[in-house]
Amino acid sequence: MELAELQDKIYAFVQAAKGKKKLKEKDIIKGVSAETSETPDNVKKAMRAMIDVGRLMYSYGGGSSSVEIPSEEYLREKGMIK
Amino acid sequence: MKKYETPLLDELEKGPWPSFVKEIKKAAKKSEMANDELGQLEKSYRDRRGYWKHGGIVGVLGYGGGVIGRYSSLPTEFPGVAHFHTVRINQPSGMFYKTDDLRTILDLWDEYGSGLTNMHGSTGDMVLLGCRTEALEPLFAEVTSRGWDLGGSGSALRTPACCVGKARCEWANIDTMDLCNHLTQMYQDYLHRPAWPYKFKFKIAGCAVDCVASIARADCSVIGTWKGKIAVDQAAVKNYAKGGMDVQAEIVDMCPTGCMSYSGGELKIDDANCSRCMHCISKMTKALKATGEKGASILIGSKAPIVVGSLLSWVIVPFIKMEPPYTEFTELVDKIWEWWDDNAKPRERIGEVIEVKGMRSFLEAIGVEPQAQQVYEPRKDPFFFWKEEDLNGNK
Amino acid sequence: MAWLTEQEAKAKRKTDIGPPHYSKMLPPVIAKNYGKWKYHEVMTPGSMVHVADSGDKVYTVRVASPRLLSTESIRAMLDIADKYCDGYIRWTTRNNVEFMTTKEENVAQIKKAAQDAGFPAGGIGSGISNMVHTQGWVHCHSACTDASGLVKAIMDEVFPYFNEKTLPAKTRLALACCVNMCGAVHCSDIAVVAIHRKVPVIDHDLVKNMCEIPTTISACPTRAISPDPAKKSIKINADKCMYCGNCFTVCPPINIHNPEQDGVAIVVGGKIGSLRKGPSFSKLAIPYIKNNPPRWPEVVEAVKNILDTYAKGAKKHERLGEWIDRIGWEAFFRETGIPFTYQHIDDFTFARDTFRTSAAFKW
Repeated sequence: MELAELQDKIYAFVQAAKGKKKLKEKDIIKGVSAETSETPDNVKKAMRAMIDVGRLMYSYGGGSSSVEIPSEEYLREKGMIK
Repeated sequence: MKKYETPLLDELEKGPWPSFVKEIKKAAKKSEMANDELGQLEKSYRDRRGYWKHGGIVGVLGYGGGVIGRYSSLPTEFPGVAHFHTVRINQPSGMFYKTDDLRTILDLWDEYGSGLTNMHGSTGDMVLLGCRTEALEPLFAEVTSRGWDLGGSGSALRTPACCVGKARCEWANIDTMDLCNHLTQMYQDYLHRPAWPYKFKFKIAGCAVDCVASIARADCSVIGTWKGKIAVDQAAVKNYAKGGMDVQAEIVDMCPTGCMSYSGGELKIDDANCSRCMHCISKMTKALKATGEKGASILIGSKAPIVVGSLLSWVIVPFIKMEPPYTEFTELVDKIWEWWDDNAKPRERIGEVIEVKGMRSFLEAIGVEPQAQQVYEPRKDPFFFWKEEDLNGNK
Repeated sequence: MAWLTEQEAKAKRKTDIGPPHYSKMLPPVIAKNYGKWKYHEVMTPGSMVHVADSGDKVYTVRVASPRLLSTESIRAMLDIADKYCDGYIRWTTRNNVEFMTTKEENVAQIKKAAQDAGFPAGGIGSGISNMVHTQGWVHCHSACTDASGLVKAIMDEVFPYFNEKTLPAKTRLALACCVNMCGAVHCSDIAVVAIHRKVPVIDHDLVKNMCEIPTTISACPTRAISPDPAKKSIKINADKCMYCGNCFTVCPPINIHNPEQDGVAIVVGGKIGSLRKGPSFSKLAIPYIKNNPPRWPEVVEAVKNILDTYAKGAKKHERLGEWIDRIGWEAFFRETGIPFTYQHIDDFTFARDTFRTSAAFKW
């Protein structure tokens, strides 16, 4: 699978959980890997690349960490949007 | 700058112990942020409650930890603490500093933050207290470009910590600072990018005195120990006696295993029955020395009481060699993490998972055999599991 | 100094480099004798000497710190280190500061310079070292007392045991500003831990928007929380709640703070080291003392009472918990005059191990 396509799948996976479940890295890696038959390692790399450019972000709340779609506020603060 | 009246806090400038109020006031001379911290704290003292909101989502790009969001619940009244985030800077192992290197951090902190610190936080990081969100990225660039990095937070590997070890202690059985640095560098990814159900802490102590409190607050406690005898310098024993020590009462009678005797000015140790608790060595450091093979005991699981009670770490591997490149240990760690990550519910520490899943499940997963050193006593009840392989084998 | 621009920051930033290597931070005498130390001697509560196989000596002066330090004070410490310690300094795991020198004649001068800067020497050997503590109202959303203020008040009172007098054994004090216990104070000789006493108040509208209901329900260790479908929120069974605040941690609109009722408990007899009787948890001595800022006189008095009773009754080298083990808890309550209450009898996870099953006990 092309990287861009895989990343779109990851994004959709995270979006689908929004407001319902806080996803750990591992939930995403397992879930997307099962959906796409990509190796967990490939999913992890693709996800990390998205986090590095702010397409996804690490979040924290309720005592534990998760991966989420960044808010506009976060993107503005990181200079991703003006 | 606004001048706050602080009659309650002023009471805490009195007395011989160094005053944190004086520290906040020193920082407040230069920083609006520290000044509003002072103002808000006085209000807390008046109202007997804190005025901070739950941590928000802040951090540096790509990392999931190292910055803990903190916002005042009274931002209009105290705008200087509207954002007051914590930045954890990973300490060098052993917390030794070259003064010029530390000054670099101080200069940056005066520029980008409140000028207030904790030296150090509970986990061991240098803590920069009070940073605005927009200062995080440039501060991070400044700090990392000078060879420093952030510590851990959230559901990640927390900054490993250790005692002073071989740097300045005759009791160190392992090189705590080297191992601490090795783990910190080897597991950078786990430290900065929270991938787990909850936090995981390493603490490394050179001996059973445990100056880093590893046994009470590390998911993985590494405690230096040895297998050989305690060498006795009888002349030095005599000197302790001459110096006023009651060797019988203070050493022999306090030995928990009763493995020592003292007669005719000579101290004898039955090494086979010594549990290496460190009492005698710590009281007669000139006379007694651990000898023979050195290594560490690995204990797993300690944590604070939230939420079903505190745990002390349990002996899992009674003895392991602990020398660079530490492969035997880090291979074990990888297996420990895999089992924990596979079995834990959200916010479950490894000690809690072992309680739920059973010690056998854990030991089998990490490939460690049952050993009598792992327990104080065997079970009392007659209800135990048998697996097929137990029935067929000799176990 | 001006702030880096966004572009500059992007160009300069590095990731995953970790801290500087410790070997760059070691005083020459430490680097030279690394792993080759022979013995050490405590000279005074504020100084000690380590002697290496090579015959080299390093003198350490340990000084107090409130842990919360301004950059200005740290610079003052660094100046002392430049003058007497070849430009090196160290912090301990209990937040004291250590100045190391190869010259014995520097010891007195370092002590004086540190004292002049506001940081007295002490904390070594059989006495009281720095009091490990948490953030409190200074910086934590979860705090139900202040940490720094209580520590300051207690350390002022017990200060002679820090810098001149000795106790039967070292005595570790600690403070946690809520039961989350950052810093794990639960194995200290005497620890102060802040507690709640009232069932949380729920803001149902916010719960609906901010919290995962299943996570919140499962956060409760006593199963006191159940769904409230009508409000799309949760409800709490007051009889089952023991005020741990874990629900507040996962769901902020469940407010457990109550300034009138929040206060502190005192727990005693824990230790970390495996020496003699082995590591153990601290146990409840006093279930509640009201928050009384700025100096919490009732808490200070209670700590002083326990400490004095211990100092009077314990044998040399006996830690507080070992002394209590020897005399028995019933004698501890008798000797200290602390009342024994329902709160002292465990009704949670460890209860069964604590009920007495012997006919032998003291009056």
